[in-house]
Amino acid sequence: MTGFLRLLAAERLKLSKSFIWLLVPISPLVSLAIGLLVSLDNVDGTWKYGSYAILASSMASFHAMLFLPILTGIFTAFVCRYEHGGGGWKMLLALPVSRTALFFAKFTVVASLILVTQLLFLAAVVYSAHYQGIDGAIPWRMLLTGVGGGFLACLPLAALQLLVSVGWSSFAAPLAINVALTVPNMLVINSATYGPFYPWAQPMLAMLWYSDQDFGGFSLPLENIFMTVAGSFALFLAAGLIYFNRKEI
Amino acid sequence: MSEWVIETKGLSKRYRGRYAVSNLNLKIAKGDIYGFLGPNGAGKTTTIRMLLGLIKPTNGSVHVFGRPLHKERLKVLRKVGSLVEYPSYYGHLSAIDNLEAIRRILDAPAARIGEVLDIVGLAKEARRPVKGYSLGMKQRLGIASALLGNPELLVLDEPTNGLDPSGIQEIRELIKQMPKQHGITVLISSHLLNEVELTAGTVGIIRHGELVFQDTIERLQRQAKSQISLVVSEPEQAAAMMREQGLNVRLSEPGILLEDASDPAIAGVVKRLVERSHGVYRVEEKRKSLEQLYLQIVGEGGRP
Repeated sequence: MTGFLRLLAAERLKLSKSFIWLLVPISPLVSLAIGLLVSLDNVDGTWKYGSYAILASSMASFHAMLFLPILTGIFTAFVCRYEHGGGGWKMLLALPVSRTALFFAKFTVVASLILVTQLLFLAAVVYSAHYQGIDGAIPWRMLLTGVGGGFLACLPLAALQLLVSVGWSSFAAPLAINVALTVPNMLVINSATYGPFYPWAQPMLAMLWYSDQDFGGFSLPLENIFMTVAGSFALFLAAGLIYFNRKEI
Repeated sequence: MSEWVIETKGLSKRYRGRYAVSNLNLKIAKGDIYGFLGPNGAGKTTTIRMLLGLIKPTNGSVHVFGRPLHKERLKVLRKVGSLVEYPSYYGHLSAIDNLEAIRRILDAPAARIGEVLDIVGLAKEARRPVKGYSLGMKQRLGIASALLGNPELLVLDEPTNGLDPSGIQEIRELIKQMPKQHGITVLISSHLLNEVELTAGTVGIIRHGELVFQDTIERLQRQAKSQISLVVSEPEQAAAMMREQGLNVRLSEPGILLEDASDPAIAGVVKRLVERSHGVYRVEEKRKSLEQLYLQIVGEGGRP
């Protein structure tokens, strides 16, 4: 455990002076722009999910469908980038560190970056609601479930991307794979057959708050999302750990 | 506790049916500088990766500080500093931050960073981003990283690769002082003989994955023994005369080669030649250079 914390401290230092932090606020800012510009005039105020859900869902559409899965891939490729340049893995693994601890340290950094992105997104939603003049108490429960669910749904993607990024010394190749698997979201999300089981679609399914529209993957309950997320997470994480522990450096 | 800092038994690594390293029995003594010598592709780096636990041997065992590496890797690596192939660094960080990242992992005292920077002579440049460093400075930073954890064993793979002569000189001096000043055992690999000749106490020569020589550098030098070449007016008569005196003589253009001759024996030969009115044109020492011997070992693979 102490080994893991030390590795984490070292990873933090490596990222502290890099431009990765500039990528974190991009998606929340785009979402904020949508939130400020979207028109809520036609919304039926008596509808049970209220204006808040409409606002948050329109803001989340791009963020959860495209940005979040793609950012997960970028963050993951980024934390492996320095090690791939000039024998960094050799140096790091010739130190007294366990590979499992290193894998988890990298994973934790990625997860933290996603979490910060999600919190900024939450702030953007709250600010937009204020700007749009939506009355009433902030529905924290609904918002946190969505933001938290989106975060959890990214973890299997992070685990898989970490596996790919560790194995592939290229920076761009894992990203290309990730984008190629994210883009079909636009179609998959509408499918009741594949949507619930497609890992890249889960962040969106978790973050669109109103399950009023009974089409495609949206008709499924939250439990279903968690089954897919937990299952794929366990699978990808186990594969990543086994691969990394056996890899010849 | 074994007396060897590194001891391998039958160490082998097979890639797709071909042995990159086969049946290697290295023995590296405490406080020694061990030069691990061989042409490119002979298996030096593969061996070093096995010694550091980066890859698993196909067969055989590695003991470091008398401990089995595969069982006590973390315990062993805590006392080992290494630089494998290229110095690795985070270009956007300064030398201090690079060392700090490693220091956090090793949990070394913060003051150690200043110490290692002083040892490698980088203290003045330590605050600049490393991407602006020359290759020699990066190499020195690599050695500083290796020294950070106060290791008892330093493993350096081709530490002078790509350096200019003055850089090579600097690194060489740095390595030489390790056992004396810091009590560190050093394993240094190289494909250049004079590199190893000038630093190492013991040499291991590897060829096609097999260890073909392992002994002290003096033993190697003694094998590169000298011959005396004599160029005279009547070589055949002169050679016959020398043979009568029991000398080991061989005719070879343009003169006569004398092996294992002592100084008085040579003086006697010259005196007698002059007395018998031979013209003595040249008396010169022909030393088979260590380089030739090394090439011979590496080329033939036999023990010389």
